[in-house]
Amino acid sequence: MPKGTERRLGRWLERESVFRLVPLVPVQGLILALLAVPFVLTLYISLLRWRLTRGFWTAAPFGGLSNFADALGDEALLNSIVRTFVFAGTAVALEVLIGFGLALLTYRSFRGRRVYLTIFLVPMMIIPVVIGYNFSMLLIDTGPLNSVLGLLSGQDIRIRWLSEYRAAQVAVVLADVWQWTPLTFLILVSGLTGLPPDPVRAAQVMGATRWQVFRYVQLPLLKPVIVIALVVRTMEALKIFDLPMLLTQGGPGNATETLSIFLWRNAWVFNKVSYAAAASLLVLVLFSAVIFASIWLLRRERAALEADGPRRRAEWSRR
Amino acid sequence: MTRRRAAFGVFRHVVLSAWTLIVLFPVAWMVLTSFKDAGDWVSWPTRWFPFLDFEPTLLNYRQIFYIGGTTASGELRREASEQAYAIWKGVVDSGVIVTIASLASLVLGAALAYAISRFRTGGRNYPYTILTVRMLPPIVIAIPMLIYYTSLPEFFRAVFNVRVAFFDTYHGLILLYIVTTLPYVIWMMLAFIDAVPRELEHAARLMGATRLTTLRVVVFPLVASGMAVTLLFVFILNWSEFLLALTLTQPNVLTLPVLLNKFQSAVEGRLYGPQAAIGTVVTLPVVVFGLLIQKHLVKGFSFGMIRR
Repeated sequence: MPKGTERRLGRWLERESVFRLVPLVPVQGLILALLAVPFVLTLYISLLRWRLTRGFWTAAPFGGLSNFADALGDEALLNSIVRTFVFAGTAVALEVLIGFGLALLTYRSFRGRRVYLTIFLVPMMIIPVVIGYNFSMLLIDTGPLNSVLGLLSGQDIRIRWLSEYRAAQVAVVLADVWQWTPLTFLILVSGLTGLPPDPVRAAQVMGATRWQVFRYVQLPLLKPVIVIALVVRTMEALKIFDLPMLLTQGGPGNATETLSIFLWRNAWVFNKVSYAAAASLLVLVLFSAVIFASIWLLRRERAALEADGPRRRAEWSRR
Repeated sequence: MTRRRAAFGVFRHVVLSAWTLIVLFPVAWMVLTSFKDAGDWVSWPTRWFPFLDFEPTLLNYRQIFYIGGTTASGELRREASEQAYAIWKGVVDSGVIVTIASLASLVLGAALAYAISRFRTGGRNYPYTILTVRMLPPIVIAIPMLIYYTSLPEFFRAVFNVRVAFFDTYHGLILLYIVTTLPYVIWMMLAFIDAVPRELEHAARLMGATRLTTLRVVVFPLVASGMAVTLLFVFILNWSEFLLALTLTQPNVLTLPVLLNKFQSAVEGRLYGPQAAIGTVVTLPVVVFGLLIQKHLVKGFSFGMIRR
């Protein structure tokens, strides 16, 4: 490189604006290039009357808003929405509760802590497709899970996990809890270990019981971490596709037909692409409500942190 | 007091061991099955113990890696196993795509996180705005993405007069994986970078270091472990991504989840043994990676929601 160019590059790299703006360009560029166009395409397709079996989309007739009208009146869509929210709600609640309990027991050091930590994190590292295989093996009528349940209860248990309506729903939720409790556990353990030690110690010195320390010192400090665990998991759980797809293909009947599976079936099994596009746009509107709610929560927690942190620290150090 | 503490210790170990059993039960079953021959896959009463209940065998592993047939004499025995399990193809494709995508996402996201942390790039709301990318269900964009990817080449040919394909290629999937994981990278790296005191950077700058040197010598070493943690998380997400890969690839590119799914649905009668063997093989590398950086994992996973 010639000397002049090198110097100019050096000077360029000293400008604050370079560090402020250059990183934004590729990220925004990628998001726009990859997501904006498909989004507009979805809008357009939703207005067509296009089925995969009827040739290329450019030749499809225009259908106006009929797809949206159909979707709004579709009971199967409504059911799958309700189902998805119930699944996600149950699974996330269990994951956060179990994760929190386990985190409380493991965040301080004790003998064997590392072994537990190591084992607890394994499920989230397994590919969902493999978990699908594995659980469909565990859940056979004459499989190991029924065998263990039989041993524990002393009766002959033959739950038909994947072919009974309720049992299949439970199985999908349980598989999700098994896979993702490690993540909430990890987030909460990380939060608990990161808590500043001074407030806890101060409370102990002032004679607080263990419960009081937890309830009035640790829990408030930990609230933002609980919120992020909830938000991250809810975000992913509402998209749930792999597990029900692999375990039950959305069945038996439509017992485990979540939103993603509903849309998938409509597009690829029934070939109703335009309809699926319209339905997914409606779903998106619904989801954005959830998105805004969670963003509002996150912002509130972070704002509280930023405003509160220094002040509280100053107070503690003054004592 | 001490007695209560001892009681608590016992209680803790009981609860944690119970959860350990729950976690390990499916994993153990998978590993066990991977060493079973066809007759032992599904049986009642359940066959738990190798050597006592069933004779362990390496058949499944030989089958998935396709080493010298599936019987001792070297012939193929199971009917469905006559087709080779081309698992290597999946391992290589997944490996290349996921590694490149995760690294690129980490670099781009970390740079932007630094800009956001230090210069408030994009305004106060930017990190929240970018989360919406992650909240978009992939199924919503899968079909338009397919149309988009298949019609992009025509656009490129008409405008730039070059031939590029996106559907069923490495870079097509890599680009998409970068975008879908960026929100998490930005959020996690933002937390790690926010934790680096600005004073350190100011000191280095005062001593005459350039901005780039400051980044390399002061900031990077302090966030390196955080970057490893972020990389692992993003790697896991990409390594398991199923829906987009299923829609946007085949037959040339075949990631592991898509490949594995084929075995699930293709064969009449489930091949539990080989499936379990594959499951064991593809799970191992991620777990080992996780073990290596476990110490950092626990330190750095609170998304910046704790301030000291």
